[in-house]
Amino acid sequence: MHKKIKLSKSNLLLKVVAYVVMGLLAAMAILPCLHIISKAFSRGADVTAGNVVFWPKGFQLETVWYVLTKTPFLNALKNSLIVTIGGTAISMFTTITTAYPLSKPSFQGRKVFTLLYVISMVFFGGMIPAYMVVRTLGLIDTYAACILPFAIVQFNMFIVKNYFEGLPEEVEESAWLDGAGDIRTLTRIVCPMSTPVLATVSLLYAITYWNNYFHAMMYTKSAGMQTMQVYLYNIINNSQEFAENLASGSGFMANITSEGLVAATVTLSIIPIVLLYPFVARFMVQGITVGSVKG
Amino acid sequence: MRKRQAATGLLCGVLAAGMLACNAQADGSELKGPGNVTIKRLGYNVAFDPNADVMADVIKDTTGYDAEYYVLPAENTDEKLVMEVAGGADYDCIQVSPNQFQILMSQGALLGLNDLLDTYGQDIKNGMSEDTWRAASDSDGTIYGIPYKYPYDQEVQGFMACRWDLMQAAGITEIPKTIDEFHDCLVKLKDYYGDQYIIFSGPYLSGSEGNGTWVVPESLACAFGIYSDWMVDEDGSVYYMTEADGFKDMVEFLSKCNEEGLIDPDWVVNSASTVCEKFSGGKSIITSINRNGLGTTVPAMLETLGISMDDLNYIGALKGSDGTCKFMKTEAVNQYTVILKSSENAADVVNWINLKEQNQLFINIGEEGVHFNYAEDGSIEPINPIFADERGNSYWYIDSTNEEEFKKEWPARVRKSEAQWAGFEAVTIKANEETPEIFVDNPFAFKPATEKYSKYNTALSNSLNDFILQIISGTKSYDDLETFQSDFEAKGGEEVRTELQDWYQSFYGNK
Repeated sequence: MHKKIKLSKSNLLLKVVAYVVMGLLAAMAILPCLHIISKAFSRGADVTAGNVVFWPKGFQLETVWYVLTKTPFLNALKNSLIVTIGGTAISMFTTITTAYPLSKPSFQGRKVFTLLYVISMVFFGGMIPAYMVVRTLGLIDTYAACILPFAIVQFNMFIVKNYFEGLPEEVEESAWLDGAGDIRTLTRIVCPMSTPVLATVSLLYAITYWNNYFHAMMYTKSAGMQTMQVYLYNIINNSQEFAENLASGSGFMANITSEGLVAATVTLSIIPIVLLYPFVARFMVQGITVGSVKG
Repeated sequence: MRKRQAATGLLCGVLAAGMLACNAQADGSELKGPGNVTIKRLGYNVAFDPNADVMADVIKDTTGYDAEYYVLPAENTDEKLVMEVAGGADYDCIQVSPNQFQILMSQGALLGLNDLLDTYGQDIKNGMSEDTWRAASDSDGTIYGIPYKYPYDQEVQGFMACRWDLMQAAGITEIPKTIDEFHDCLVKLKDYYGDQYIIFSGPYLSGSEGNGTWVVPESLACAFGIYSDWMVDEDGSVYYMTEADGFKDMVEFLSKCNEEGLIDPDWVVNSASTVCEKFSGGKSIITSINRNGLGTTVPAMLETLGISMDDLNYIGALKGSDGTCKFMKTEAVNQYTVILKSSENAADVVNWINLKEQNQLFINIGEEGVHFNYAEDGSIEPINPIFADERGNSYWYIDSTNEEEFKKEWPARVRKSEAQWAGFEAVTIKANEETPEIFVDNPFAFKPATEKYSKYNTALSNSLNDFILQIISGTKSYDDLETFQSDFEAKGGEEVRTELQDWYQSFYGNK
């Protein structure tokens, strides 16, 4: 027995306006992506002639196939996945193990350590000293160079710390009474109770690692160590030269053009994030508020 | 601008601090020989892996030296280079731009090469002109880098491509050669086609600096005696484009074309890719373009518009109403290979580069009968696809050239693309054969990167482009030149002029 709620005229108008505005905003976000994706799968000549708008013209897979098999795309993807997965794991470990003691009022020197983190959050030593440190440690051109500078992001640590501080003390006390030590309490009680914040922070770390261009560019030098972002920059900057060489070589493929190549590379590079997003979208929304309110 | 200044200053500071910290000069003056050393070479960004390219093996087999290749990133190049050098990078040689050369040289990071070149690099030394070497030397004559000069001295880099089939249908029987003929041609096309087509589209903004940033096509500006933003008169005085006699006529010509609907109504907002799209999509009849643009658009046009190469034609450097034309030569040093003081293999690097130069034709162009053939006129015709497959990327591995020989060899690289070659042949080769007098020297061809120029010239160029576009679109007129002049002075125009004048005087005055 559903009773239809009749909207007043002003509410209806508001609803229509909201739908129109949100629709326009969604279109503004989706249409450029659609344009790029369409170019990636369109005939080369149509891409160059500007005939492709929001739907592929002269559907072809040559460009995508070329990017996958003839450029270091897969190697860059592998590097980015290693850095993102490995980095997120390391960062989560350092973040949790730092945030937990700092969330305990009984921890001696808690204020001093917290202050040190705040200072290092506000004042950054600078690009050059950071490079010198990485170089002196012999980390140049290694995955560690792309991970260790982000091993702990203070802001993320404070989010987790605040969340830990909001957990009921009684639960931990009962665990101690049952004989659990600090490690067991942290891993079996605190972490399972903090799934939302840990998921959110993991996501923040993963996005940072995945999108990080600057450190990957600065701390790696061999072609085999290129991450996805570095590879993307290189392809975008050199796509014309790439397409020109192809046009005269034995690997000639009429559909591969400079713009098509860039479009195909960008399209392929967003697939991992697009696949991941449905699973983490709710944490993204939570991430805006989680840890910000104590208690 | 301030940000850029600060960044340059910071980079120099970093480098100076780094050089103090790692000032130990390695002794690389002893030749170890091929097989006993692996040379590490850092170069500019390319999309391919230089270690995996066939050229790496070609060079190893030819010189006997093992080499490892590294590339700088596509973005933040200067920061990365300076960071690496200051941090004690172990590269033996680095391929750098004139700006990077200046930064590294001014901070004392580079090894003086005179003795090494005398001992191990005779072919390198003899292969280049005195002017080229002076561009790589300090005032005492110490050579700090091996310069690489653009191989073709007189190329019409910016020209116009046109739909010859449509032009013929409109009753045009000859390609315009003067600015008046060009205007008549545009009028005829407009009368015949009305608004069906964009008659003349542009500008083709092909670069981030130099003439590639011009909103006036080079092949049109030359008809008004304008060949560069900074020029030098017969008395040796440096002057800016706006001070040229033909500037007023040039901007008024474009403004008139706009009023008459002869040029693209989107001229002020067009980019290189939109101009290409309009031409290859069959929307425009004449377009401002360069060789690379042809390589992109022509294959697409042949496929989508169903036309043939005969339906295309090219308009080169136009002559003015008085029959004169000034087109700037392309002769300029655009890269250097330097050896860091910290290199332990300096002698081997020079020897390696010398061996590469001894085998210049084979390394850069290939083997006769396999990669190329000689045409009847002695020019080199590449054999595709093997030329593109096995020598397509050879340009990246070049450190030095025998300039005279390379001038003859290099066009083969253009010839590997039929579309590019058609344009090159129609405008550049034709101009060299029929009207070589149009080419004027680039007065700053051998000028290293200098402080004021690096600091201010981009802003000055942007300001000039804005002013010209405003005149073309009718929002300003030539009479507003005073407004531009005050902007020019505020943006460091006079400081750049003084710096250029001093350099010009010192370089050509001491010759």
